[in-house]
Parts: sequence; C-alpha cells; structure tokens
Amino acid sequence: MIEVDGSLKRRLAIWLLVTVSGLGTLLMIEAYLGAQRAAQRAYDSQLEAAALTIAESVQWQEGEPVLEIPAAALQILATRHQERVFYAVLDADGRRISANLVLDIAEDDQRHVAREPFWRDVTWRGEDWRLYGREYDSAGWETQDPVQIWVGHTMAGRRALAGELFERAVTRFLAMVLLAGLLMLLAMRVALTPMRRLRQLLRRRDADDMGPLDARVPEELRELAETLDTLFSRQRDSRDALLRFTADASHQLKTPLAGLQSTSELALAQDDPETWRSALVDVNEGAARTSRLASQLLSLARLRHVGGDGDMARLDLAAMLREVTLEWAGRDAAREHDLGLAELPAAPVAILGASWALRELLGNLIDNALSYTPAGSEITLGIEIDTRVATLYIEDDGPGVPADLLERLHHPFERGGRQDTQGSGLGLAVVDSIAKRHGAAWQVSNREPRGLRVTLRLTLSSPEER
Amino acid sequence: MRLLVVEDDLLIARSLDNALTPLGNIVEAFTHCAEAGAALHQGGFDLVLLDLGLPDGDGLTLLEAMRERGDTTPVLILTARDGVEDRVRGLDLGADDYLAKPFSIAELEARVRALLRRSQQRSDNQLRLGPLCFDLASGRVTLDETPLELPRRELLLLEGLLSQTGDIAPREMLESRLFGFGEVGSNALEVYVSRLRKRLQGSGLRIRTFRGLGYRLEEERA
Repeated sequence: MIEVDGSLKRRLAIWLLVTVSGLGTLLMIEAYLGAQRAAQRAYDSQLEAAALTIAESVQWQEGEPVLEIPAAALQILATRHQERVFYAVLDADGRRISANLVLDIAEDDQRHVAREPFWRDVTWRGEDWRLYGREYDSAGWETQDPVQIWVGHTMAGRRALAGELFERAVTRFLAMVLLAGLLMLLAMRVALTPMRRLRQLLRRRDADDMGPLDARVPEELRELAETLDTLFSRQRDSRDALLRFTADASHQLKTPLAGLQSTSELALAQDDPETWRSALVDVNEGAARTSRLASQLLSLARLRHVGGDGDMARLDLAAMLREVTLEWAGRDAAREHDLGLAELPAAPVAILGASWALRELLGNLIDNALSYTPAGSEITLGIEIDTRVATLYIEDDGPGVPADLLERLHHPFERGGRQDTQGSGLGLAVVDSIAKRHGAAWQVSNREPRGLRVTLRLTLSSPEER
Repeated sequence: MRLLVVEDDLLIARSLDNALTPLGNIVEAFTHCAEAGAALHQGGFDLVLLDLGLPDGDGLTLLEAMRERGDTTPVLILTARDGVEDRVRGLDLGADDYLAKPFSIAELEARVRALLRRSQQRSDNQLRLGPLCFDLASGRVTLDETPLELPRRELLLLEGLLSQTGDIAPREMLESRLFGFGEVGSNALEVYVSRLRKRLQGSGLRIRTFRGLGYRLEEERA
C-alpha cells in the first residue's frame, strides 16, 4: 500500500527554514553588536575632538589657567538628538576651572586620567552619560601644570545611530532571505524535473510492457531506476515461467484427453458391448488420471507462482500428521491398504510451516504410496525427533524403485518407470516444491528387504520464534 | 430419503441422480440458487448436495441463509475449489461434509450414507449400523432385534464406534471415553476391542484396526 508521508518540497523548505533561522539569529546578534560598536566609535571620536578643541583654548593668566569654552567644542558635543552635554576643566589640584554641570568626577577617575585618556560610563540624575577625560600638558609662560579636561554627553545619539545601523542590517538580511527562498523554489522545480520525467515515462508504459526502462536519470535516481528495472525483469521472468508452465500443463492435459477421446471414439464405432465395457473402464481410469493431473498442476502452479511466505505459522506437525492420515485412512482409496501411524512423540512437534502446503505434501506422499503399492501393502507414517530436526517419514513394503531412477523422481512427469498406475508423475514435483519452500531436505530410499521410504527433515521451531 | 442436488453441470447432476436413486432415494436436482432456495423453503429434504459455483450466486450464501433460518438439514458441499480456506469457510458456515471435485462415485455414496445415517440417528435417538441398534435413551443394544448384554466398558466402546457412523473413531477419543483421562496401558483398549469383536462375529459387522489411528465399525463387504 502507498502511504503519502509528507512532501519533499515541504521537507526541504522546513530544513531551509531551520537553517536560515539558526544562522539568521547568529547574524542578527552579530549585526546588533556591530552597530553598537560602530556608534560608540563614531561618537567617542567626537568626544575626543571636543576635548582637544577645549584643550586648545586654555589660556594662562598669572599662573592660573583661564578658559573660555569655544562654541565649536559645544557644537561638536551636541548632536541633533537634543542631547545634554557636559564639560569640566580641572586644574592639577582637581579644582574646577570651568564646568557647566555639577556632575562630580570620582577621585579614582582623576588619578586614572593622569596616566592615560579614559572613557567612563556613568549614571547621573537618572540618565546614562558617557564621559571622556584627558590630561593635557598646558604650557603657560611660567607654569607647566597639566589640566584635566572632561567632556561627555547623554547616549541618545549613540542609541539612535546604533538602531539605524541595525535596522539597515536587518533589512538587507530579510531581502536576502526572500531572494534565496525564491531561488530555492525555482531550484527545487528544476531539480525535481527528472522525477517528473520518470513518472511520465512509467505512466506511458503499456500494462504488459516488461522491457527495461529507457530513461535519462541523475545519479540520485539511478538506484530507483535500476530497482524498477530489476522488478520489471523479475516480472518478465515470472510471466515467462507462467506462460511456459501453462504451455506444459496444457500439453500434459492434452495427452490423457486425447486418450479419452480416441478410446471413446473407437468404442462408439463398434457394436460389441464387451468392447464398450473395456473402453469405459479405460475412460474411467483416464478421467481419474486427468483430474488428478489437473489438481496437481494447480498446486504446482500455486506453489511456484504464488510467492511470499505470509502463510507460514507455527504448527504442531504431529497433530497435522494424525489428522491428515486419519482423513486418508478413511477414504475409499485406502480401503485395500493397511495405512497406519507409528507411535508419535507425546509432546507437540512445533515447526514453522504453511499448513495448506504441508497437508498437500502429506497428501501427495500418501497418495503415491497408495497408488504405487499393491493391495494389502502396509504403509506407515511417523515422526522421529532429533535435537533440532523433526524427520517425517512414510514407508511401505511395496516393490520400491530401481536404484538408478531414485535420483530423477522429483522431476515433473517422472513416474519411476511405472506406467501401470493412474499417477501423473507430478506428486513428487509438488513435494519437492513444498519442501524447498520450507527449507527442508527430503530423500527417497529403498528399504531392506523391500519397500520404499521417503523422509522429510524439517527444522524444529524454538518457542521464541513466532 | 429425499435428496436435493444443487448443481449446474448437467453431466454431474445426472450421474449423481443415477448413483443415488438406486440406493432408494428420491433425487431432485436444481441448477440455480434461486430455485433451490425456493424448494428448500418448502422443506422436507433429508440431505442437500450443494455445488458452490452456481450461475446466479455462491452456494455458500444459500447455506448461510439455511442455517440462519434454523434449517438443520445436513449439507454436503461438492466443489472444484479445493483450497483449505474454502473448506474451512464451508464447514464454519455449517456444512456437514465437504467433497472436492472430481470425486469417485464410491466415495460420494459412502459420504451420503454416513450423513443420512447421522441425521436419522438424530431424529430417532438411536445409533444404528446394519443389524446393530443402540438406543441412546435406554442404553440398550440389540443385534438382529435380540438384546445384547454388554459390560459397561464394551458398551462405552460400542457407543463410541457407532457415534462415528462408519468413520474412523480416533483411538484417543475411545481411550478417554473408556478410561477417563488417566494414564492407560497401550493395549488396554485393544483388549476391549477384541472382546467386542468376538461378540460381533458372524453378525456381518467387523471392527477394523487402523494402526496408530483408531478403529472403524463397518459392515463387511460381500
């Protein structure tokens, strides 16, 4: 049965989505951090520039630094985002020479700035500030004291810039994903074309076309195409075998039917009741033989052409043997024979087998024994148990089979040199097919001093098997 | 006995008629399910011989309808389908026996005799074979109308054999009938069989041994 399990396209799309969203998250994080860094760098250099501008305008009057904050410096600090700016100029003792806000600079920071330029993020009056401090050696005429210049502003400008940069990165990414998705769809269509082509090819085939495929397929589909080819060739073989078998069977059926026809025709041309009688006897025997042949041909066909072992099950060989033998012993055909059962093992003999096939096999063996031995012969069936193997046997005290014919008995239409019975010569061919199906070895041997023994070795099934 | 034959092959229907009428039966033959169904509705048949593949339907449907109606007339299925599944299905639906085509007339006669005997026994509550009669209600046995006094186990044995009406009575069945489920010696049953054999000597009946299988009470063939 064909069960549709999702679609290839959807599966590809899901994988793509998972990959893109995974990678996308990483990219977004990277873009965010990158935007932050870029904004920081841009505004930090502005702070540096502002500090430098202020430093350049420090004047010395009577040993004291005097400062007029240049407008340019404030312009540099103030961005278009209505930011609040801060500056402070401290002398060497940490006193404020000039400042626009009372934002205090920690003493630690002042000491730090003395060593190197210093960036500092602080929170003052509920707002985040970024400060830059730097010490300049301001060379006056008499003194040479350093001054510390601190500048700073609130963060709105930085945030806005970072946001803008990030937004642009996201837009670029989304556009790319969209484009990639469209291209992917297109690629899928193109990539699946060979499958569509193969499907069309298969659809166009005639129902009885078993020839090999004639298709151009990519590497990935080669296995599928080859499997299909093998399947076709198996079907072809099986159909050929079936045709051959049907032809054989029809030929085999024609022979006894021809006999029936000619016998009855000859008898009808005569007026002698005695001739009629003997012809009728022949016709009766011929009809029996023909019908047996037909049913054996049917079992053979079923065995050879109905494949699979779905009908295999655990069964009790002893119970089956008892049942089949009981049925045959009660038949009219067994009236003149002593058909019996040897003592069977007390415990069930569990094997894995197809019930109908094994019954057919037993039936054929018993039928053979009844047909090929004279009236009054003793026929015994039984089972011998080994550790792993159950040996089913049937033996009689009839005339046996010439040693040189033993090997050929399992060939269809081989009758062990006996033309005096109603046998079709198919019985042991049926047995052979069933034994093969069960992986069982079977053997025919002559008994001493007389008679025939057929054995079939079946593997015992252990309880853990089904 | 009145027999109903449902068979669409005229040659087979005619040979059934030719074979069964001389045995003292009235044979009525139909070729279609519908006609046969109508005849069965009127009732009065002792046995139905039923073919499965009929022109207007499956014989099994006919059988199913009969059994649903509560019609217990014995049914012998005759068919060319000899698969085990068909056989099991037929018997499941309430067929009494099953004969695969092609069959020999002798085989057919034997089966028909057994089925008729069995339905006869059901109706008059007696097991009969030839001159032997076993009254199930009183447990009395008569041979040629003269009472036959039997010890308990021989009586049980005879009942067991007769209950199979001409079929082989399996040894295990007879053993559990005679001795219960206890352990029995291998030839304990044989002892009682040989005693019963002596009593039946000269009556036209004999008990045939089937090695390892069981025993059959049968009429000696002339």
